[in-house]
Amino acid sequence: MVSPMRLHEVSFRYRRRSEWVLLEVDAGIEAGEIVVVRGRNGAGKSTLLQLIAGVLRPTRGRIVDRPGRIGWVPERFPAEQPFTVSGYLDAMAAFAGAGSPELWLERLGLVPFRTVRLGELSKGTAQKVGLAQALISEPDLLILDEPWEGLDAAARDLVPGIVAELVAKDVAVLVSDHRGETARLPGATTWTVASARVSVEEPVEQAPWVIEVSAEDGPAAVAALRAGGHRVLRVRHADQATGVPGSHSDGATVPAQTAGGGAA
Amino acid sequence: MTALVLMRLAGFIRTGRFIPPLIAALVLLGILYGGGQAGIAEAYGVSALMMFPVLAWQTKLLLDTEPDVQRRLALVALRSRTREAIGGLVAAVLVAVPVVLIALALPWIVDALKPVDVGSGLLLGLWAHAIVVPPALALGALSSRVVAGTPGRAAAILAGGIVLALVLGLHSSPVPWLAPPLISSAHTLAQGAGSAAVVGLTAWAVVWSGAVLAGYGWLRRTRA
Repeated sequence: MVSPMRLHEVSFRYRRRSEWVLLEVDAGIEAGEIVVVRGRNGAGKSTLLQLIAGVLRPTRGRIVDRPGRIGWVPERFPAEQPFTVSGYLDAMAAFAGAGSPELWLERLGLVPFRTVRLGELSKGTAQKVGLAQALISEPDLLILDEPWEGLDAAARDLVPGIVAELVAKDVAVLVSDHRGETARLPGATTWTVASARVSVEEPVEQAPWVIEVSAEDGPAAVAALRAGGHRVLRVRHADQATGVPGSHSDGATVPAQTAGGGAA
Repeated sequence: MTALVLMRLAGFIRTGRFIPPLIAALVLLGILYGGGQAGIAEAYGVSALMMFPVLAWQTKLLLDTEPDVQRRLALVALRSRTREAIGGLVAAVLVAVPVVLIALALPWIVDALKPVDVGSGLLLGLWAHAIVVPPALALGALSSRVVAGTPGRAAAILAGGIVLALVLGLHSSPVPWLAPPLISSAHTLAQGAGSAAVVGLTAWAVVWSGAVLAGYGWLRRTRA
């Protein structure tokens, strides 16, 4: 994504004379930025995401500098299709002019389901296929509409890690959430959709948390935090530290943010 | 776009949606050829007319096979609204081909044609069926879910379009040019088609289909 994508005075309604779903939205998203879209059910979050994905066209206003490659994960993956997981992802990769979907089949744990028909998948596994189809195109902008919906705990933990990885590669990520899962996405800008308007709230840098654990649990605790998508900023043994608040002789001090993201 | 066309063809075939229009085509052809032998060009003219509603319905079924969200996913992956729409129409043309071939072959199998002027009769028959495909495609596309929205509106567009195409195309119609040249081409084949008539009717079919497909394209700008 070379220049930031911008929404200029974007308004949208589904039919003439119907109520405006979105009104005069002005916002932008840059490469490597995470934007969390919040709002109550029916506020217009999915509509906003579909406008940005290019699925819907603004009734008024315009969206400029939309990136070339967009990955969109809809809220509900359309599983009622007569294709196997592998066949479907191969076709979607071909649409996008992308390579083999093998990497994402493996990373998302879809290899055992390769020959299973989409209609026979559980809701969570189908949602993973939805995630895979968006990722195989190597998007410049990834749009996730409630990506945690239907996923089990293990799969939910995958999402922040993938987002962090993409952001590190300058991919912009737009994600809607009403479950509070996006608390695990660090440094995200928040767009709040309410009464057809979108308000933008820049990320606030927060003081890191300091967590103390015993020396023998230290490595495992750090690994567990990172595996959980938390960004561990610094790790040091208490005997190496002088004047570190809360440090003592038999422990390890782990200042960490309770949010997903990169390594320390 | 090839992948999209293949995916839509596969979906149409694997879900068995091709069966109802195929049965309808066979029933109509059975009625047409059940009463003894007829001249080749004349029979093919009526056959082409009868295939118009079948091909329009088949187009609608094909375009409606894919779930709405999947159509939108395809649009995003292809990065083009136009390519997505054209992909559906190309798939519809490809599924029309076997129906046309069946319509051309069946009367020979049941020995319903008089073997006189076979070469020119076959060519005219192929032409008559070929000029029915674009108007049928256009009407079917206009009645597809993405454009029509509700099933009731879709049925009204399809049924109304078929009736209007036949009624407005009658010889006595004051505005025959509002309809595709279905009855005109059947009439022309029954009376012996000259090359000028063939060219004129082909142009008429192309212009009519182009106008309706342009309307489809215009509506698809905002409907995904």
